[in-house]
Amino acid sequence: MSSTTASETVVRLDGITKRFGTTTALDNVSMEVHRGEIVVLLGLSGSGKSTLLRHLDALEVPTSGEVHVLGERVDTLSGRPLRDLRSGVGFIFQQFELVPSLTVLENVLTGSLAALRGPRLGLWSYSKAGKLAALGHLDRVGLLDRAYQRADTLSGGQQQRVAIARALMQNPRILLADEPVASLDPESSDQVMALIREIAHDEGLTVVCSLHQVDLAIAWADRIVGLRHGKVVLDTPAAGLSKAEVMEIYGRVATSTVELEAVQNELMDGVIR
Amino acid sequence: MTETMQRPSTSPPRESVADRAPKQSKSPEKIAAILTLLAIGVTAVFALIEVDISIPRMMQSWENAERFFGRVGGLRFPEPAELLALTGLTLGLVLTGTLLAAVLSVPIAYLAASNTTPGSGWRAVARFIGVFSRAVPDVVLAMVFVLMFTLGSLPGILAIGLHSIGMISKMFADAIEQVDEGPRLAIRATGGSRMQEFTSGILPQVLPSWVATVLHRNDINLRGSVILGYVGVAGLGLEMSYAFKSLNYGLGLGIAVVIFVLCVVMEIVSSLVRSAMLGDAGNRGGVFDRMIARMRRNRPARPARIWATSPTSALRRPWNPERVRNVIAGWIAAVVVVAAVVVSDIHWPDLITFWGKIPAIATQFWPPSFGNYDAAVMFSAMRDTIAIALAATILTFVASIVIGSLAARNVAPSKGARTAARFVLVGIRGLPELILAIVLIVITGLGMQAGVIALAIGGIGLLGKLIADSFEEVSRGPERALVATGATRLQVYSGATLPQGMRALIGHSFYMLDTNVRAATVLGIVGGGGVGYYLLNAGQGSNYPLVTAIVLMILVTVLFVEGLAIWMRRVFR
Repeated sequence: MSSTTASETVVRLDGITKRFGTTTALDNVSMEVHRGEIVVLLGLSGSGKSTLLRHLDALEVPTSGEVHVLGERVDTLSGRPLRDLRSGVGFIFQQFELVPSLTVLENVLTGSLAALRGPRLGLWSYSKAGKLAALGHLDRVGLLDRAYQRADTLSGGQQQRVAIARALMQNPRILLADEPVASLDPESSDQVMALIREIAHDEGLTVVCSLHQVDLAIAWADRIVGLRHGKVVLDTPAAGLSKAEVMEIYGRVATSTVELEAVQNELMDGVIR
Repeated sequence: MTETMQRPSTSPPRESVADRAPKQSKSPEKIAAILTLLAIGVTAVFALIEVDISIPRMMQSWENAERFFGRVGGLRFPEPAELLALTGLTLGLVLTGTLLAAVLSVPIAYLAASNTTPGSGWRAVARFIGVFSRAVPDVVLAMVFVLMFTLGSLPGILAIGLHSIGMISKMFADAIEQVDEGPRLAIRATGGSRMQEFTSGILPQVLPSWVATVLHRNDINLRGSVILGYVGVAGLGLEMSYAFKSLNYGLGLGIAVVIFVLCVVMEIVSSLVRSAMLGDAGNRGGVFDRMIARMRRNRPARPARIWATSPTSALRRPWNPERVRNVIAGWIAAVVVVAAVVVSDIHWPDLITFWGKIPAIATQFWPPSFGNYDAAVMFSAMRDTIAIALAATILTFVASIVIGSLAARNVAPSKGARTAARFVLVGIRGLPELILAIVLIVITGLGMQAGVIALAIGGIGLLGKLIADSFEEVSRGPERALVATGATRLQVYSGATLPQGMRALIGHSFYMLDTNVRAATVLGIVGGGGVGYYLLNAGQGSNYPLVTAIVLMILVTVLFVEGLAIWMRRVFR
């Protein structure tokens, strides 16, 4: 896959290394993501998936290397340009990260903060057009009737759908999702993953999503990138890939039997934590 | 299983368990802290002996009291209209002052909290402002402001406002540091600015605890407002001080009773508001929810209307009980705030003109000097103040351990005992210690005893409650484990409850000492002994360099105790 024009490549990492103290979270990672692609980052916990995702929204600054998102170098941005970039990138968290005491609608409206100036202290401080758009997004994720409830009165799956509506409020071009279903029951997981996929398709969004379930990743991704100890150990189209093949690749790079067992346990049953 | 059983026979003979056990070692810092704690305890006992509270003498003064009340000839109150105006004025200026502090505390807390501060320099400045404003008693500020504004309620408002910043900004900052960082990170990820992270991600999380803090401080300020009257701030306190100065004891005590009732009512109102607000997830629990639910029950139930058929129809927020409650609460709060400002009758132009007077007044206060007094006299007065604080704290501590333990659900031997203990604590908390001190002084005459007893009793309300709450928060597991081994109730208490609550106990006791040092100064002003008496004299005699000198002494003492408390809390973490 060679990208000839800059517009096709929406994310480019050039030799990213990230250290926290003495531990190396990412070790010389380079990769590209093209417009409209759905990429799944696969790996065990602690393999660097979250750290990588956070670099794409400039929530982390690399120790060395360059991060390019939407044609801009983001690791050196600050102030207004940085916030403008972040507003073009939606981010979905494992723990949803809604403000518990605000209403569902207010939470969705926080997605439009970057487009507005100054502090926002309640529903009345958003425009009617903004509210209408937010309600539209809530309708889309199927939670319109919950608009005026406090966010912490919803179930986990519902909260994650509110978080998706909040990301949509940003009118993003890229959607990042960090283990979006790891805290959900199987049924809610399916709903949320289907919703992300459907929205990505309709809006032509580029999606980078971290997961640890191999089954889900194969069913869901256009392309799978495997991480281990902060290094890319696998980068392949998902079409036609079987679970056994993925396991095989993991097995080949596993250095000890203990690690191999961990890989097998974690990847085979797919039910973590 | 079999393996472990065989092990003793297969392993070579070892030294006895006593020899193999690691020796218990304590860090030098911890040993120093324990010794300091002991030294403070011993000093406090000596202070108590020196103050010389003897039971026979108290019995005797009780007879004095009876004779005194006989002479007073019952309580008298001001005219109803005047009483209403004075009450309104006092409530208004206390509330306005507390609100002023709340507003000013927001930026200070933002700068002081480790997770929002823009830099460590800012943080140091904000913390210094907080500690400094806490250390200067509001009565001293009031004395200074009375000079600047001569009349009106502004001196009181500003004194309360500036002094309360210390506590409010500290508790605001603590609340900010305890928020869940996740939602804030999410708002950063959407491209929100630092300001928006604060208003949308942090503020909604801390708001309930902030309001609780402000209400709590408002209670404290109402209790403290009496003393402001003694230095010339308008309101009930001023009338009371006039009454006592003109030996009109019936009227003075009548006003004291009014203030007591006000404090109890305010305490009840603010605890109702707190519980309504903290009622979890804002759904059930609160008094106001129940009230609204009752109103609804009287109406015939209507079928639920389907309102959210499209985004446009959903634009109008439905009037569910939660919204009704929030809107009513919001309007009541707004009306109360506006009423407080209106009632306190602020002379607004003063806010502009007083800046010009600052240089002239500053030169009157600086440099500090003991004037005609011997430095030795001043230091011994300060020593008396510290002795009062220590003696009161140790009395409070002993009484609070007993009452506070009985008030804890997991310690109380019966539900009745717990209810009784809680009832005692609430009753004492409603009683302003200054009123208690004034009444005691009126009855038993000037002196340290009255001050110590007043502070000791007043402190039980606070320390007892804190102790009861922290005992109820200990983990239940170890207690159950001890019960399972067949321990008695007292053994469970000393073996599981007390060790777990020890850290909180030390922290709360130092907080008490901290509060008492400040309160002891103020008590001197009404005749409770110590340095406060000289402070009031110096202020009324326009001996301002002496005022500065005394304030500096108080400041050093308070900062020392505060430093000690911080150190203790850190060591016994």
